[in-house]
Amino acid sequence: MSIVGDVFKELLGMFLTDARLTTSILLLVAIVGGLVAALPVEPFLAGGVLLFGCLAILVEAASREAKGRAHR
Amino acid sequence: MDTAVWSVAAPAVGSAFLASLVEVVEAFTIVLAVGTLRGWRPAAFGTIAALGVLGGLIALFGPLLDRVPLHLLQLVIGVLLLLFGMGWLRKAVLRAAGVIPLHDEEAIFASEAAQLAGATDGSASLDWIAGLTAFKAVLLEGLEVVFIVIAVGAGHGLLWPASLGALAACVVILATGIAVHKPLAKVPENTLKFGVGVMLSAFGVFWTGEGLGIAWPGEDIALAVFAAVFLAVGLVTASGLRRPVMEVLR
Repeated sequence: MSIVGDVFKELLGMFLTDARLTTSILLLVAIVGGLVAALPVEPFLAGGVLLFGCLAILVEAASREAKGRAHR
Repeated sequence: MDTAVWSVAAPAVGSAFLASLVEVVEAFTIVLAVGTLRGWRPAAFGTIAALGVLGGLIALFGPLLDRVPLHLLQLVIGVLLLLFGMGWLRKAVLRAAGVIPLHDEEAIFASEAAQLAGATDGSASLDWIAGLTAFKAVLLEGLEVVFIVIAVGAGHGLLWPASLGALAACVVILATGIAVHKPLAKVPENTLKFGVGVMLSAFGVFWTGEGLGIAWPGEDIALAVFAAVFLAVGLVTASGLRRPVMEVLR
């Protein structure tokens, strides 16, 4: 019973349940960060990109998993 | 507390309470198996030791994070909340749609009890294994609660209220568990997880945005709007996925 190993596995699992979901969120945050920092974009617009981007990622991740399981 | 403070404090304490409720139910199932099969002493010892470690983590990391510049803290915590919250929400949507099975506390209790019953060493060693099993269960399930408490509490002076919210959930589950004395299979775990996933995702968007320098219209009130939008999209997605799955099953 390796408790330390299980703790690390649990911590990793908390943020990496789905590699594509994780990558998409990080990419979205980077894009929004870039929009705010580099372009004269209204903060409100950048916020909208962040919110609706997250929603799109959520729907895609759930649909992909459901489709994958239906095909198995 | 004025309205603006309550608009952050209430969801923060509520998230910590509901998340703790879910995780404590899961940990309680294993502690109950340990207590029933190997006695309450190792079960209580393991539980108290794990709660001590978890409390220590909050006491250590909570104040430490208060020293990090606010925008950086909001960005890092916001992104972590997005990763964690949307992971929970995705799973809750899939469970609500019937794509993945619901958490079965009675099956977990039976599996844990079978494992403990299979151990046949000396009684001191068995007590040790039982205590360790309870310790591990509470520690692993509690890690997510610790993260949520620190994430929603740090940087906003809400560490204590969020911790008390989580502790209140422990007391509620413990009292119910002692009264019922069997796995708490009737707790609507997925509904709670859905709610917590919605709240954490909303917090994630809010704080990531603030960390990036976005001034949200309506300030803290925007949190409630984000939560409503995540809830609506989550429910519609679950409903949309339910039909095709049912068609496949037919």
